[in-house]
Amino acid sequence: MPKPLRQLDISTPAKLRRLADEELMDLVCQNDASAFEIVLERHVDAAFSLAYRMVGRRSLAEDVVQEALLSLWRTAPRYDRSRGSVRTWILGITHHRAVDALRRDGVRTSRDVSDDALQEQVPAPERTDAEVIRRDQAEVMRAVLDQLPAEQLQVIELAYFGGFTHTEIAEMLKLPIGTVKGRMRLGLEKMRNRIEPEGAIA
Amino acid sequence: MSRSERDYECPERMQAAAYVLSALEPEEADRYGTHLSECSQCRADLAKLQTVADSLPASVPKLRAPVQLRERVMVSVRREAELLQAAGPSADRPEPRRERRRLRVPQLLGVALAVGVGVAVGVVLFSSGTTHPVTHVTVAQLVAGSPGAGAALRQTDTHAELVVHGMNQPPRGKIYEVWLARERGAPIATNALFGVSRSGGASVNVPGDLAAVRRVMVTAEPRGGSTQPTSSPVVIVALGSS
Repeated sequence: MPKPLRQLDISTPAKLRRLADEELMDLVCQNDASAFEIVLERHVDAAFSLAYRMVGRRSLAEDVVQEALLSLWRTAPRYDRSRGSVRTWILGITHHRAVDALRRDGVRTSRDVSDDALQEQVPAPERTDAEVIRRDQAEVMRAVLDQLPAEQLQVIELAYFGGFTHTEIAEMLKLPIGTVKGRMRLGLEKMRNRIEPEGAIA
Repeated sequence: MSRSERDYECPERMQAAAYVLSALEPEEADRYGTHLSECSQCRADLAKLQTVADSLPASVPKLRAPVQLRERVMVSVRREAELLQAAGPSADRPEPRRERRRLRVPQLLGVALAVGVGVAVGVVLFSSGTTHPVTHVTVAQLVAGSPGAGAALRQTDTHAELVVHGMNQPPRGKIYEVWLARERGAPIATNALFGVSRSGGASVNVPGDLAAVRRVMVTAEPRGGSTQPTSSPVVIVALGSS
């Protein structure tokens, strides 16, 4: 007589792994830690990469991502899929946390690639089709940014990745605030015109 | 407002790009956030630019997150999941927010991060089980300590208990004291004084009637406790008006 097969529980990682992010978020709302772990696995590298790009220090980037992920866990019911993907939401929270970290005293002045930056530059392996698609998107995005006029790229990078406000940027570059805002807008619009035909938006 | 006129251009239009890049000053961002709820033109405009800003992270060089980071996060998550599950299957989490597209990080968070603390948004849970006493679990809004620090207040009809994990040791010569704050007036001292284990954990009974209490707080005080707080709170549990 064949041995009875052990029934797989819905919350086993193998089953969870087959679920889409949005379905996992429904389970996370019911306090399912295993479902959260899969969401974390899928996006933690992207969140860490963004945080590291912004704060430039490993330990601080880790703190930023840890805060962002715990906030995600604790406020999961606020995720609204009509407003974008889970990944976009996670990266949005990470971005805000990193901006907060950058605006705290002392962080910006000590920012550089002095610490173990070289060791950090180990690229994440591409494990799934989704990651290959994302690599292509990354190439498109880099190309889009490369094609931006330098003065537009500069204000966008200072704001988004540097966490500087438009007032700070205007002071730094000795430009009127209106010019800074104008460059931000022109740059983003130009990017949009290039991204949309490519379908590069994650 | 003449929003229906085709040529109308909202004077706030120039704010959208700076807003999606998080480049507005905080007060400006708040103002613009309020404006968004009233101006469909700006909402539509913002949505277009937001998608572009959301795609910026894709350009970042890809790194592998440290394994310890994942582990630290999951330790906190599993601990909280257990706590939440203990409160019952019909646990409620915070209501989804609808009023605004972008949530500015509250002031409290800024302060909290500045002192290197873990922060949880208040979570209130209700158990509907009839065989167990009704339990409310409220997760703390502010917990000082390691980034994964957490705290929660568990209440039954007759009993309240504050559970913390990942907290720092109180400064030398000090002890943690629990305070009860009502809507108005100075926080009320309790005789709940505690230290934390080596791993930063503790569980302490919170005495007194919590009916009118809005916040349960913890501060570090000289041994023996104080009658008025002498330092800022390291834990704040905000209780609903239920």
